[in-house]
Amino acid sequence: MKQDILDIAGISQRPTRLTASLVGMIAAITGVALVAISGWFLTGAAIAGAGGIVAVQAFNYLLPSAGIRGLAIARTLSRYFERILGHRAALIGLADLRPLLFARLAGADISEITSRSSGTIAAHLGSDVEALEDLSIRRIAMTAATAGALAGLGAALLAGVAPALMLVLGLALTLLMTRLLAPRLLSRHYRDHGDAVQSLKGLYSEYANSSVELALYGQAERVSRILEVQGLRIDHSRLAIVRGEGLLQGLQLALASLTIAIMLASTLAPLELQALSALAGAGAFEALGSLNHSLLQRARVTAALTRLSAIASLPARAGEAGGRPIPVCATGPSITLGQGNEATTVVAGGRIRVTGASGSGKTRLVMHLVGLRRDAPQSILVGGAKVNELGIDILRNIFAFSAQEAPLIAGTLADNLRLARTGVTEETMWSALEVACLAKTVRAMPEGLETWLGPDGARLSGGQRKRLSLARALVAEKSWLVLDEPSEGLDLATEQQMTSKLDAWLRETGTGLVLVNHRSGLDWLAKDVFKL
Amino acid sequence: MPVTASEFFAAKSPEVRRSTLWWSADTLGAALFAASLAAWLGAGIGPHSPQHKLWILSVLGVSGTVRAIVQACASRHGQRAANAVKQRLRRRLFEALLPTGFRRGRLPGEDLRAAVDDVETAEGYVARFAPIKAAAVLSPLICAGLACLASWVAAAIMLATLIPFAIGMVLAGNAARVEADRQLLALSRMTGLFVDRARALPTIVSFGAEERATRQIASAAREVADRTLLVLKIAFVSSAILEFFAALSVALIAVYCGFSLLGLLPFQAPEHLNLGRAFFVLAMAPEFYLGMRRMAAAYHEKQQGEAAASALQPEVERAEALLEAMDETSALAGPLKIEALVIRYDDGSCIGPATASWPATGLHVITGPTGSGKSSLLHALVGMAPVASGRILVSGSEIAPGNLNSQIGWSGQRPFLLPGSLQDNLLLGAQMAPIPAWQALVARLGLETMLNARGANLAIDPAGSGLSGGERRRIGLARAILSNRPILLLDEPTADLDADTAHDVAVVLMEVSRTRLVIAATHDPLLLSKAQSEVTYS
Repeated sequence: MKQDILDIAGISQRPTRLTASLVGMIAAITGVALVAISGWFLTGAAIAGAGGIVAVQAFNYLLPSAGIRGLAIARTLSRYFERILGHRAALIGLADLRPLLFARLAGADISEITSRSSGTIAAHLGSDVEALEDLSIRRIAMTAATAGALAGLGAALLAGVAPALMLVLGLALTLLMTRLLAPRLLSRHYRDHGDAVQSLKGLYSEYANSSVELALYGQAERVSRILEVQGLRIDHSRLAIVRGEGLLQGLQLALASLTIAIMLASTLAPLELQALSALAGAGAFEALGSLNHSLLQRARVTAALTRLSAIASLPARAGEAGGRPIPVCATGPSITLGQGNEATTVVAGGRIRVTGASGSGKTRLVMHLVGLRRDAPQSILVGGAKVNELGIDILRNIFAFSAQEAPLIAGTLADNLRLARTGVTEETMWSALEVACLAKTVRAMPEGLETWLGPDGARLSGGQRKRLSLARALVAEKSWLVLDEPSEGLDLATEQQMTSKLDAWLRETGTGLVLVNHRSGLDWLAKDVFKL
Repeated sequence: MPVTASEFFAAKSPEVRRSTLWWSADTLGAALFAASLAAWLGAGIGPHSPQHKLWILSVLGVSGTVRAIVQACASRHGQRAANAVKQRLRRRLFEALLPTGFRRGRLPGEDLRAAVDDVETAEGYVARFAPIKAAAVLSPLICAGLACLASWVAAAIMLATLIPFAIGMVLAGNAARVEADRQLLALSRMTGLFVDRARALPTIVSFGAEERATRQIASAAREVADRTLLVLKIAFVSSAILEFFAALSVALIAVYCGFSLLGLLPFQAPEHLNLGRAFFVLAMAPEFYLGMRRMAAAYHEKQQGEAAASALQPEVERAEALLEAMDETSALAGPLKIEALVIRYDDGSCIGPATASWPATGLHVITGPTGSGKSSLLHALVGMAPVASGRILVSGSEIAPGNLNSQIGWSGQRPFLLPGSLQDNLLLGAQMAPIPAWQALVARLGLETMLNARGANLAIDPAGSGLSGGERRRIGLARAILSNRPILLLDEPTADLDADTAHDVAVVLMEVSRTRLVIAATHDPLLLSKAQSEVTYS
């Protein structure tokens, strides 16, 4: 399953990745060869120089010195292309992963969506996918590292079987110890770090909402101390991570020089081959460094992969595939709230108010009705079918919902209205804004419908947001309109005006209404009441 | 006055210097390896005792351990330096940003990013970039100096390759800056989009607009990938330049030494080389560029650190200036008066002028249509909205907005909760002994059931899980009353409440207003009918 995500994302980039791996191998091999041949050439030259004029003339210096220059250029070029191609494969491949994950989540059961906070989802699409980018780039580095280690090994063989064997042992020991120790030394601290960052963010955004009170009651210092504790947790785990990584990288450095000393002690090969094998051994260890680095990151990447595959493997919502229609009359289905004697049924085009004291669950009931929740204790039937059996894919073709908190998206006014359905004309938008009593305000804005609202409609007042959310529900043109506290935050005059326009619109279009309200100004819209 | 990132983070601490010294000392560890390998090969030519050889191999064997310890110390000191910087910075940011967030009119997400993410970005700058940058100057010099002991020509070759290298890096660096800025912009836009669409996902699904939102995510993600690739291309060109010169210096030194050893130099040999010396300089050649390679690897952290510093500095200074202005001597409560008070927000929208005169006691309301500025006036009285002109007077003398804050009990739209017990939260503003009958007041506000069910000592978390909007609002109201402060400013005290509870609240407010000044922003007809004066916005 984990494999799947990377494959889905990387499939289009497979040729690039293969080329990158190939050039990466060339880069690693030329890197090892460059130092090895330099060492061999120098030692050979010294021996020849000491051997007198005949030996000097017998020593072929042209080939190795040209080779050294050639290798220097080849290495630089191949490294450049390895990096560019590797990053292209990773970045472009994973850019497609983000919308794919978003679509999976958006297509999953509604409880999967509402149980995740927006911060968590953003972190999945952002930093978790980034961790995979890292992994994808490292995979290429790993092929290169393996090639480099093998090249070093081949060069060591020239000095004899014993030093080559020692090198294999040294490399294997390094890999094994890193693999064994990395999770022990690092996993816990990476997790602590992630948790501490999350809780600091959570606490900060809570307190940031109460900025005025913090100032007035002189609580800023006290809150700051509370937050600083989380900050200290972050810093402690970072220091522990740095310590652990230092230990693991140090282990590799220590084993490298020890291995080379043992290699030299175990060979009787000519001096120039000793030089060659020692430097090639150092090169092999250096190549292994990037392999080890990816082992160090393993904990982080595994955690990210697990989270992402949980999203990627979410099953599509039931009903999405079948899309079977429910029994409805021409104008739309009826709604039945409650059971037995208390049951209230409204036919298509009818109107009903849901009332009850603060905290009695009005919002929960209507959100359940439109398919965004499943925890209302009351029985709810739509078109005679239990609402839980219908699912959001059917319910959203029946209901247009304006929620209590009136969530808006970052974008323009028009972007928010276009969300309601495809192919909305400007004319439709204006007439909806007219009913919602927002048209005048929008006309006064210099950029009209194209006014940028900022994240979550930040530039609008509470009442304006409510009205825009209402207008969006009107634009959707569904058979039922479901409104949760549509006039909260409006003054009485605007409320009255909006109510009568809404009444006219409902009659004209034959749309039904389910209404939740505290304020009595809306009461006359619906005679039927369902009391909680 | 804008300062550099290094000054803003105060990145020149003794810990950073220690880290720099350790990074530079790494060159000595490398020299140990190079020297012992060279000595081994040098010993291979002439006659040497086995004991001597064993010594050489032992030094070679432990040279890696020396390097390991040195590098670990360098990273640790760097991280310690960064931790100290982050802790100072967090305290400064939290204390300045939290109480002024509303006044500065920032979106909650923006401050969150500054106080958490940007602080984490400082880590890379202080822990790695700052010490490595200084070491990148020191370690090549140490390296060339050590090489000079064996062969001054080789040292000269190393230093000579530095000149074209520096020119190449400057050219690439300038191009990188422009692209990196654009990439950071695209990145932060994409992150914003993720948060936004994730938050609105239930709405998107309930209107069936998934495809549309997915398309927007796809195009933003593509744009970031393209921009990132552009930045990386430049970064890779500069590291290719770096590697080319590193490889070139290895090749030049190898060829020079080789020909010198063969006695085939086309010119008079400037010095006498043997295998040991030659091999030592060859092995040191890659180390000459290592410091700069490390710096190039930390370049990204430099850019991010600089971007964070330039975003943080103006905001935190603005916040601190606002705090200072509010913090001046507090006036004593008395009859309160505003004259032609005009509030002007950064986006140009303007509220007022408003004029009102409130006696020292009584229930008074501010009313008017939605969006007309009721809350803004309350905020202006406590220094949380930008006052453009007009005056605030207490007992006849003018005060600056915010100077009366210690006399004001406040209840806003969304009262905050501190971790602690419910009782702690209710008595938060009561510096002196709480009024003994505080439980009775809480009961009259209709919070009794909740209090009995949960217990006054029950710990609550700041998210206030389990509390409804109306309960939270009444906790804020009770807190304001229990603070015993002579002036109460209340924003919509009866919103989110059903009619019965709203009535109870109004009665309590009437009672409190006999001894204190209560000013409420509201549309509630009940409160309007009981008010002794009304300020109306239109």
